[in-house]
Amino acid sequence: MQRNEFPDARLLQLTAAAVLAIVLWFVIRGLLPEMWRTPGSPALYLTGVAGVMLLLVPVAFVLVKRSGHGKDPVGWFNAHIVCSLAGMVLIAVHSGGFLRRPPALLLLALVALAALGVWARARGSRRMAATFASKAPAFKVPDAATRERLRALIAEKRRLLAVLDPQANEGTFSVNLPQLLRSPRLALAYRKLAREESLLLGTRRAVSPQQAWWRPLHMALAWLFVLGVVIHVITVTFFAGYVADGGPVTWWHLTAW
Amino acid sequence: MSDIVQMPGEQNQSERLALLIDLERCTGCKSCEAACKTEHRLGPGEYRNKVVWASALEEAGLAFLTLTCQHCERPACLRACPVNPKAIQKDAVTGIVRVDESRCTGCGECVIACPYSAMGYDAKGHHAVKCDLCVDRRAEGEATTACASVCPTQAIRFGKRNELLAHAEKSGRLPRDQDHFLLGPATIYLERTNPENISTASAVTPARAHPGESRRPSFMDGLAAQAKVLDMPPAFPYGESRADTAPDRVVPGGCNICFNCCTVKFHFKNNKLTRITGNDEDPLLKGRVCPKSQLTLQMYHSEHRLLYPQKRVGARGEGRFERISWDQALDEIAEKLKKVRDEYGAEALAMYIGTRTGALDNLGYTRMFAQLWGTPNKGGTDPFCATSKSVAYELTQGRVGSGNSYTAEDLGSAGLYVYIGDNQAETRPVYFGMINDWRISRGAKMIAVDPRLTATASKADRWLPIRPGTDMALGLALAQHILANNLHDAAFCAEWILGFEQWREFILQKNYTPEWAAPVTGIAAEEIKRLAGEIAAADGCVIFASRGINQHTNGTQTNRVLMFLAAITGNWGRRGGAYFNMTAGAPIAPNAPDHRRPKMRRHKVRLSPAGWTDAMLHGKPYPIRALIACNNPLAQWPGQDEARAAFSALDLMVHIELFANETSAYADYLLPAASGIEKGEIGRSNDDRRVVWIDKMIDPPGEAKADGWIWIELGKRLGFEDVLQERYKDTAVFWDEVCIDNRMMRGITQKRLHSTPYRWVRQPVASEVAPEIDTLYLEGTSAPGAPDGHRFPTASGKLEFWTEALEAKFNTLGLSALPEFYSEREQLLDLPYMELQHSDAEEGVVSPFCSPATGASRARIVAPDANHPGAKLRAQGFDTELVTGRPPAAHFHSWTHYFWQSQEMWPDLYCQIHPEKAAQLGINDGEKVCVESAHGKIEAMAWVHTGIRPTAVFIPIGWGERQPYNPWRSVNFLTDKTQRDPISDQTNLKVLLCRVSRAAG
Repeated sequence: MQRNEFPDARLLQLTAAAVLAIVLWFVIRGLLPEMWRTPGSPALYLTGVAGVMLLLVPVAFVLVKRSGHGKDPVGWFNAHIVCSLAGMVLIAVHSGGFLRRPPALLLLALVALAALGVWARARGSRRMAATFASKAPAFKVPDAATRERLRALIAEKRRLLAVLDPQANEGTFSVNLPQLLRSPRLALAYRKLAREESLLLGTRRAVSPQQAWWRPLHMALAWLFVLGVVIHVITVTFFAGYVADGGPVTWWHLTAW
Repeated sequence: MSDIVQMPGEQNQSERLALLIDLERCTGCKSCEAACKTEHRLGPGEYRNKVVWASALEEAGLAFLTLTCQHCERPACLRACPVNPKAIQKDAVTGIVRVDESRCTGCGECVIACPYSAMGYDAKGHHAVKCDLCVDRRAEGEATTACASVCPTQAIRFGKRNELLAHAEKSGRLPRDQDHFLLGPATIYLERTNPENISTASAVTPARAHPGESRRPSFMDGLAAQAKVLDMPPAFPYGESRADTAPDRVVPGGCNICFNCCTVKFHFKNNKLTRITGNDEDPLLKGRVCPKSQLTLQMYHSEHRLLYPQKRVGARGEGRFERISWDQALDEIAEKLKKVRDEYGAEALAMYIGTRTGALDNLGYTRMFAQLWGTPNKGGTDPFCATSKSVAYELTQGRVGSGNSYTAEDLGSAGLYVYIGDNQAETRPVYFGMINDWRISRGAKMIAVDPRLTATASKADRWLPIRPGTDMALGLALAQHILANNLHDAAFCAEWILGFEQWREFILQKNYTPEWAAPVTGIAAEEIKRLAGEIAAADGCVIFASRGINQHTNGTQTNRVLMFLAAITGNWGRRGGAYFNMTAGAPIAPNAPDHRRPKMRRHKVRLSPAGWTDAMLHGKPYPIRALIACNNPLAQWPGQDEARAAFSALDLMVHIELFANETSAYADYLLPAASGIEKGEIGRSNDDRRVVWIDKMIDPPGEAKADGWIWIELGKRLGFEDVLQERYKDTAVFWDEVCIDNRMMRGITQKRLHSTPYRWVRQPVASEVAPEIDTLYLEGTSAPGAPDGHRFPTASGKLEFWTEALEAKFNTLGLSALPEFYSEREQLLDLPYMELQHSDAEEGVVSPFCSPATGASRARIVAPDANHPGAKLRAQGFDTELVTGRPPAAHFHSWTHYFWQSQEMWPDLYCQIHPEKAAQLGINDGEKVCVESAHGKIEAMAWVHTGIRPTAVFIPIGWGERQPYNPWRSVNFLTDKTQRDPISDQTNLKVLLCRVSRAAG
């Protein structure tokens, strides 16, 4: 299958376009009709919904990639880039320019996510490539105690795996999404052992902190964003007065219905 | 070895494939890296394998290994992959772990997860990259992986894991345990052998113990240097698909860069060169090639190549040119040459013809051009590299080069290999691989004498870190011990050596004992005696020597002493015994007809081009006003400041080159040259007397032309077309009709060269049907071309140590034919040194050792006093021995600095410095240092390394300040053109006093 390339140049162009669009929006916002400055106005409401729809693509990417049914994970990855950036622009518009309110944290999270992703792709990749043949532990004299702990861990993993997935080979197995959904307790227990093994190998410690942690941070931010969106939807829907803070509740889905 | 208990359904071991990497063989040459990138068209920063140091830099050992995927039973990379189904897969039968690039999203978790850091990453395509044991290649019918196919030392083997292990066990070799993480790695690393373990001040067994942390010198992976390569897009075919580079034509030929002269195959698609591989049909080299041969692919497609003639429009040295046509360039050059001749005489033209241009140009076209023009001032790189050994061979044996060959019956049958000042592992990697293989398989011994623990020394049983410039003292003491104890081969000496008794008497009378040599050389007397005994007792000892011996003011005499040492122990004219100082040189010396050669009015200024600068600057002893240079003298010539001033003073300077370099900037005309398969030529002269033919296979880029074409066209404008004929532009015609017109070469016709799939013939062969001779000068034979009964090609038919005729020759220069010890004038110790009595501005005397007639200086050996030059320099704080020399195997002089992968492998100019000295000076590995001699100053990156004498630093040649990737000032800013051997005019490049400090900023 042909790999769907997404060159850095295109990523940078797209990012620049997104940043430009956001800046432009903030510059011309004051010149636009009132509806573009009214929180929850039909225009901004629909922009927000559209933004979220676009941002569902990265969520779908995360799920499809792990589901076992994604035929083209690279295509999904590329879609996650494009939709995230477009979604970010729409969310920026949806904010109505209110950057001193708590929901602006969501926009901040999105910007951080995009920045981290772009950095990882355009610059972090070089660090990734430079990792080859750079880890010190590779040819050290083996440590007997670590080996003993590893041996015990492997035995434990095999015991668990015999229940979790009897057909699987521990040497090539890692927990996937369907197993996590089917047998969460076993799957999480197995994943805990795998993490422990990884810690013993010390491989994440053997690379630079940026390289080791950009992706966990990226994913954590993404989940925080998702959580933030949920909170935002709940609060504006069920605690509209609190959110309006004494001002008028102008959001369309409440005023219209 | 994995100690994981195998589970049902897990890997079936019998079909499991693997690489075996032998640490006893790997010399860190990086040929495997070159092969891998070519095979898989990987760009800068992308790796499937990489050479790492398996010993810490703090250890006196250079243990290398190729790091590549371990194809684990429990691959951590695969388990870390978050994609489902995985983008990394493991073959259940072969155990091969592969990346499915079409599914890889480039998250890098596998890169982080692999504890061996053997997972590569394509930073531009954003996906994981890894070794798959060349699945695609093998599917096309190749038997082995790309890395294993080229490995010069056979350090990498590919096959079924069980069979590889069984073979290792049968050979008594131990696989090392690197399964620290219970991942069950398939790749097998064989431990080094451990014959003895010595560590004294004067003898060291290179580290063979279990290494600690593996490291590489910091400067190699410096992000700034690597970024320069990453930022320049690699030319075709890197980054292309396999299908787009699949060859439709494969042509055998050879590499034209270095003295190993590897045979290769050139692969073309649509007439574009897509790959260079070793020639597996060569019965000698068997497809093994060094990295340079493969990296020339990057020369043929380089964006840095000169493409059209140019004329200077700025000041000299500024480097501003305008494009002109060939006709304009050659017409104007011819007119200016005529003007120089009219005003100053024909000898006012100097021609500096480097070996880069090829043997046909160097020994053929330009030799005839110089004869037709009438200048004796044609020279090349030899006086910087090897004239001392050539003169010594001529005097002793009557012909340059060893008569031995790289066959199992000859060099392979030696019991002892002694390397003195020869880093063969990095200068002729494939030949060293053969020697090392014979050493291992036959249990022969290897001893290395060198101020540095080189890659060669790292494989030796003992490394003797000698004081640079004192090899002659070692040779004399070895001989003295052998003669004093009657350990010599008396029968051989009596029958086959002329002047043996005179020399024996001289040695014994001079009392050059091991005890005398110990403080001079820094090697203990007992160690010298031990080595002498081993040489005398060995059933076949090969003494290898090279630039470490040659590049000294005592180069000729040291070579002679070592030749005498080999001869008196019977190691001459036998299989498995030899004195082997690099290349034999192909005897190509065509002449223009006598009636077309103007009579030379003056003798050659000096043999060494470095001796021409006074003639250029001051017109003394007579003016040189024009120079045609076909190389990079402004990186090579010792004493760069004066060389630049001299070039600036010329009336005409023409530079014929592949790439613009420092010399180009000083040229009036810059002419683009062709190379290798763009013109057709023979490979470099090499150790083994092989003449390798390279067909013209493609056209040069742009308007670039073959060197021969340029000389013939210029010759036409000067009336030489009757001799340098139009049809000789075809190098094959020139070869058959002109170059081989002598009794040594006559049999090496195009027909014979093309009769084999490997395109080489070992000279001498007197006719097309004459058999090749593996070993010359055997007892009972006559030397080719010599009268019957003359076993050696000297006038006497014997090896000549001393004769009245020889004595008379030496006396012309004020010296004796019996080699008396002296060293260099810049030493940390007060040692006798050579003082020249004539400067280059003076006529001097006509050298009895050169043809045509050449000026030389008389000389005398001076006993040091309190005010001698070395003592004065020491008083000024020059407290360190500077040794210069060849860089590692991926580089060769200037041209490899235009190949991106050579730069990726070895980016910056470095200065090897001992940890003790580095600590004293507050210098850390990878920091920039300033090195200053009495002759100039440069900067380089520190490589802190125990494998060098604590009093010495080493800086390699080849870097220049106008190179595209990592420009540095040449080390020859630190060298001195006045320190030359009066006999061979060889420059001392191996020991100068310097001081080292941390560079500012």
